[in-house]
Amino acid sequence: MATKRPVLCPNCGAHIKKNGYCSSCHMPLPVLKKAFNTSDYYYNIGYDRAVARDLSGAIDSLNISLRYNKKNIMSRNLLGLVYYEMGEIVNALSQWVMSVNYQPSGNLASKYLKELRQDPTLLANVDQIAQKYNQALNYAKSEDFDLAIIQLKSVLSSNPHFVKGYLLLALLYINSDNYERARTTLRRVLKIDKANTLAIHYLHEMGDTDENIIEMSKESVENDGLLDEEEAITLSTTGAKSDNKIKLFFGDLIEKYKAKAVSRGEYGEISFAKYSGIYVLLGMVLGIFILYFIVVPAQKRKIINEKDELIKSYSEELADKNATINSLTNEIADLNVELEAALNPEEDVQNPLPDYSGVENGMSDEDLQNLINNE
Amino acid sequence: MINFEEELKRFQPIPEVSQAEDAIYSNDLKDISDIVFQVTEEMKTANENAAGRYAGRVRR
Repeated sequence: MATKRPVLCPNCGAHIKKNGYCSSCHMPLPVLKKAFNTSDYYYNIGYDRAVARDLSGAIDSLNISLRYNKKNIMSRNLLGLVYYEMGEIVNALSQWVMSVNYQPSGNLASKYLKELRQDPTLLANVDQIAQKYNQALNYAKSEDFDLAIIQLKSVLSSNPHFVKGYLLLALLYINSDNYERARTTLRRVLKIDKANTLAIHYLHEMGDTDENIIEMSKESVENDGLLDEEEAITLSTTGAKSDNKIKLFFGDLIEKYKAKAVSRGEYGEISFAKYSGIYVLLGMVLGIFILYFIVVPAQKRKIINEKDELIKSYSEELADKNATINSLTNEIADLNVELEAALNPEEDVQNPLPDYSGVENGMSDEDLQNLINNE
Repeated sequence: MINFEEELKRFQPIPEVSQAEDAIYSNDLKDISDIVFQVTEEMKTANENAAGRYAGRVRR
């Protein structure tokens, strides 16, 4: 018979009593179960919205999910991710820190925090972006609109996903009746957060219909020129107020942009044509250098190798021929000897008998011995 | 028509990294279990108080 597993409290992990209440925190289990299920339900909605890039909708759903169960790790981690995607890094960090606090092990938020910690410049940048945005907001409130726009552009160049920055920039453009720029800015918002209520509200106020907005959100935002540095310089040189502080600020900004950007138009175009002769000359020198130091030595080496091979083969051939000549000479000599032998068949010709013509009184002992020997 | 001043009020300063701790504490919201726990505690205290008030009395 299978033993019944004890029911544990989802809130504190203690045993649940028979009456359905936790023995430790005295929570009613049915209520907790219902709350946790509802939290998961809203997490699912939030997840679907995040996948569909309705980030502000996802934030709403995930916040509701956390109202039902603040220890819902999935909701908290996803909420952090959504904040991160919208450029609100500090909010993302706070969600992940809380998530790790509730569940220290086996938590995806630990990985996110570790990745953030590995990049020490990131936090410094985040801080700088937040300071600049807050400063831009102050400029806007004190009606220094040009300054606010420049500051916001700087912020958005550093963090192109910062939705709040785009929305404030769009509002500033609308205030200065620059509706096209406002639309371009809001299009960027819709690229990040498809159903951003504030962006849609501004577009409606500018007379755009829902169909226009849907079409607008499909258009590409690349090369829309929104964050062009050139325009920031134009604004800084023409629209700024004659305040010493502002001038100093603009001076710094212009210097920064000049260092980074290739200036065009009225700021003096850099003509690359006048350098073309130098480039051609340099190219030729480089070509000659390559020819004499790389190509020619290689060719020389190749020719020498080929010559050596040829000499070697001729030497071998010559040695073979000499050997043949030697063998044929020997053969001729042998044949000559045979020929001579054939012409003089008597061996005596070679070794004639001693001359006995002078012998008168018989043979001497010496001659006799010679005769015997010859016999 | 957009009222710039009114719209601008929607925008609040964002927390800097040095203020992250405050952001974490402000995010520590109450969920259902906190509320139920709080209600349970209040009920428990109320019961204890009631018990103390009627202590010594003879029930008829």
